[in-house]
Amino acid sequence: MNPPASGSPIPDASKQLRHELRTPVNHIVGYAEMLLEDAADPAHAERRALLEEAITGAREVLVQINTALPPSTAELSAVDVAALYAALQPPRERIVRAVDALGEVPGVAEDPDFSGDLGRIREAAGRLAPPRDEGAARAGEGATDTRGAREAREPDGRARILVVDDDEDNREVLRRRLERDGHAPSCAADGREALERIAGERFDLVLLDVMMPEMDGYETLQRLKDGPSTRDIPVIMISALDDLRSIVRCIEGGAEDYLPKPFDPVLLRARIEASLEKKRFRDQEVDYLKQVDCVIEAAASVEAGAYDRTSLTHVAQRADALGRLARVFDSMASEVRSRETRLRSRVRELRQEIDAARGQRVTSEDFEGSRLENGEMFAGRYEIVELLGHGGMGAVYRAHDVELDEDLAIKLLRDEFVSDPESLERFKTEIRLARRISHPNVVRTHDFGETGEVRFLTMELVEGLTLRELLDSREKLGVSAVLAIAGQLADSLAVAHAQGVVHRDIKPQNLLLDPDGILKVMDFGVACLAERSSNLTQAGAIIGTPAYMSPEQLIGEAVDERSDLYSVGVVLYECLSGRPPLDGSSPITLIAKVLREEPPPLADLADGVPEAVCALVHRLLAKNPGDRVQSAAALSGELARMS
Amino acid sequence: MARILLVEDNEMNRDMLSRRLTRRGFEVSLAMDGREGVDKAKAGDYDLVLMDMSLPEIDGWEATRQLRGDPNTERLPIIALTAHAMAGDREKALEAGCDDYDTKPIELARLLSKIEALLPDAS
Repeated sequence: MNPPASGSPIPDASKQLRHELRTPVNHIVGYAEMLLEDAADPAHAERRALLEEAITGAREVLVQINTALPPSTAELSAVDVAALYAALQPPRERIVRAVDALGEVPGVAEDPDFSGDLGRIREAAGRLAPPRDEGAARAGEGATDTRGAREAREPDGRARILVVDDDEDNREVLRRRLERDGHAPSCAADGREALERIAGERFDLVLLDVMMPEMDGYETLQRLKDGPSTRDIPVIMISALDDLRSIVRCIEGGAEDYLPKPFDPVLLRARIEASLEKKRFRDQEVDYLKQVDCVIEAAASVEAGAYDRTSLTHVAQRADALGRLARVFDSMASEVRSRETRLRSRVRELRQEIDAARGQRVTSEDFEGSRLENGEMFAGRYEIVELLGHGGMGAVYRAHDVELDEDLAIKLLRDEFVSDPESLERFKTEIRLARRISHPNVVRTHDFGETGEVRFLTMELVEGLTLRELLDSREKLGVSAVLAIAGQLADSLAVAHAQGVVHRDIKPQNLLLDPDGILKVMDFGVACLAERSSNLTQAGAIIGTPAYMSPEQLIGEAVDERSDLYSVGVVLYECLSGRPPLDGSSPITLIAKVLREEPPPLADLADGVPEAVCALVHRLLAKNPGDRVQSAAALSGELARMS
Repeated sequence: MARILLVEDNEMNRDMLSRRLTRRGFEVSLAMDGREGVDKAKAGDYDLVLMDMSLPEIDGWEATRQLRGDPNTERLPIIALTAHAMAGDREKALEAGCDDYDTKPIELARLLSKIEALLPDAS
């Protein structure tokens, strides 16, 4: 609703304005109360508090409306309107703050119904702001006190018009007429003074006399159009000259219009109104483009990692498509940011655990006797630096590749595994597949080699602890650290499974953690060797414990990606509680339990672990593969969503 | 389950009110202007009409008068809804033939008690 430009009251203006303002209040209260009904659960106390806050704000708005526009008021001046909007600003901002805070509450962004209604509340609050072309809105939110000389409109919405004429009587007549018509006129006696005034204050329109001494109207017009900050101010030329040539000259010079003297007051008013209207539209367009720029800049700042959501508050309140774009953008950017923050803090905790464990590290015992000496040349190319440890497959050494001048890891494969040509061939196939996996969470396999009777693998060297060492040192780990491990594990498995490789031997010994908390999974494809071994009763010696193997794996049934996920479940269970889900005095007892018994509830063994996490781990431990999380990618998704 | 016809031109008002009433167990039908409201009320079998007073096509008062003029709907309970809250609105609504009158913002509990007061005892 536009305030009356002529200064005279619009019939029914009060009623109309009351309707226009009460409607959004109605919406705010209605949706907020509906969301309150949804938030009855005690866990949603924060939501309820914020919704109540919004409703309180809305009620304040209502009080202001009823005070300023009591039902009996029929007439309304522009001053009243501006004052009302100013009074509405604090409660409106209260509502917007509550809505913004609600957007941040965990769980809200993922709930489309809730967010949708929240957006409607925000939109309704936006409609309590004065219409876009008012000077108050242009000055920006909350800037009620920055109305300096720079304001183009008087606080009550009157247009600021500069009258430039060297004749004092003319000036006076025009000034009075403009005031009567409801504008805010100023005067200047010549071109120079006019330019000075315009430089110091903003005007909506200039009425410029053509015939003036020293600097005439044409020149003044020229100067105005040359200045980047003044060229957009509309200029209407006024002159006693009435020939076509001077009219054309003015218009070519950039004047919007031309009025002959003596001027017709009706014509004057009409042309001034038309000019002001045109300027309003231009200003709106410029403003719109500026707001589009805001969104574009926000996109750039997201890329730079410096997104600040207050930069879009203004745009987000629009009721049009641009406003919606801003709101959607903001909620997406915030969601991305909060996820990243969560992930970072999880890895931080994991790093702390690792650092603590490294301090207590004890070199693992050599139960077999090192086959290679430090300093020995191996396979004609690798200089053995030191023994790193023993995997189920064989000893792992750090070596220096003299040809590439780089350190790597060499795993010697135990004879038992590679004596059978058929299994060796199968092993090589697996290695070929595993070599294709390139992922930060997977230890890269470089090559398979033979030297004499010894077969070996070369791999990426990872400085770090195994999860086994970490657990032995720390017993159990905090939830954040475990989630950091789980997320990386899920990511690595997702990539491997996509390549058709099932690990088959996920266990803490095969999970390396570097000092930065990056997890690296080892031995993809190597485990298939062990599987072919028939003697499961000797399993304890050959492949480590069956504690991490899935039921279907233990009984020799078909194994797929979900078996890996079972093993992940065992690992996570152990990380959180300090013990594996099922234990047995002998491998046979253990296998029987894995096949038949349910593990004790994780929640009983680990304090402070959220219910959702416990439920997820138990799901991974389901005996029936069909009951588990069905893919590593799905697991990744669920973990990312956990707060 | 009571059937309510909601005649309201504002989309958000329609959305809010119909959802909240549906949760309370009412079957809610919608009309977007006065003409559609009258047509639906005459054709359908509703227990109660919630009529916004400022509607396009024909306004709420005129719609009410038309419904009262038709023997099928002269007894149909109608509650007027208005955002204006002006003095005289209530009287005006009752004069047009509305059974009751409520102002927006809707206070659901208040509106529900007015609805229940007008509905014949649930069978």
